[in-house]
Amino acid sequence: MKPPVSKFKVYGNSMLPTLKPGQEVLTFNWGKVKVGDVVVVKSAKLKVQSEIIKRVQKIIDNKVYLVGDNKTESTDSRHFGPVDQSQITGKVLYYFHDATAAR
Amino acid sequence: MRFLMPFLLKLLPSKPVFAHCDIPCGIYDPHTAQLASQTVLKMVQKMKALPKDDIHSLIRMVSVKEDHAELCKREILILWTDYFKSEHLEKFPDLHELVWKACKLCSDNKRAVDEVKAQELVEAVDKIADIFNETSRL
Repeated sequence: MKPPVSKFKVYGNSMLPTLKPGQEVLTFNWGKVKVGDVVVVKSAKLKVQSEIIKRVQKIIDNKVYLVGDNKTESTDSRHFGPVDQSQITGKVLYYFHDATAAR
Repeated sequence: MRFLMPFLLKLLPSKPVFAHCDIPCGIYDPHTAQLASQTVLKMVQKMKALPKDDIHSLIRMVSVKEDHAELCKREILILWTDYFKSEHLEKFPDLHELVWKACKLCSDNKRAVDEVKAQELVEAVDKIADIFNETSRL
């Protein structure tokens, strides 16, 4: 069973201005997600092997449609389509706002 | 909660998560470099055929040649640094050497009005484009 919380460090610009590169977040890995949540996803659809972080724009049946807050610099469901809810590994519970302390 | 969260964050090891954007990956193209190298060659040929007193045209052609040699180098470097990957290098082991020589030829063509060098640049860029086309089909 996965732990209830995980910590991630953000790489990339697609969640600006909400999340800056280098900023850390805490995710809760057990609960259900809702529209508006920022989530961490691991999907076979993605080119990157690691997990990605995006915001849930809509939920249709068992699929979530993910979009980056920085829409001009984001590869998300607009490109790779919706992903299964089961591929969400956690939802962001807490943003660590002090970017310097997060390094 | 306010004090607990920063404390938890400090204790936990962090993993990378990507707020990624891979849109540029889809728009690499060697065609700009090829056009630029052909423009350099054309300018050299036109300059050589120019009447000696046509200074105005000469200056314009020098300017176009310089700009396109610079553009060619930039486009080659974008392909080299952003598009080509280690697996491409395994299949085409002389890629680094080829890119390096092509970039040197861009500089040579900025310095000189030399049809042989300009032709070499066109051929070098075409070879890089061939490798690009081969790898983009993989």
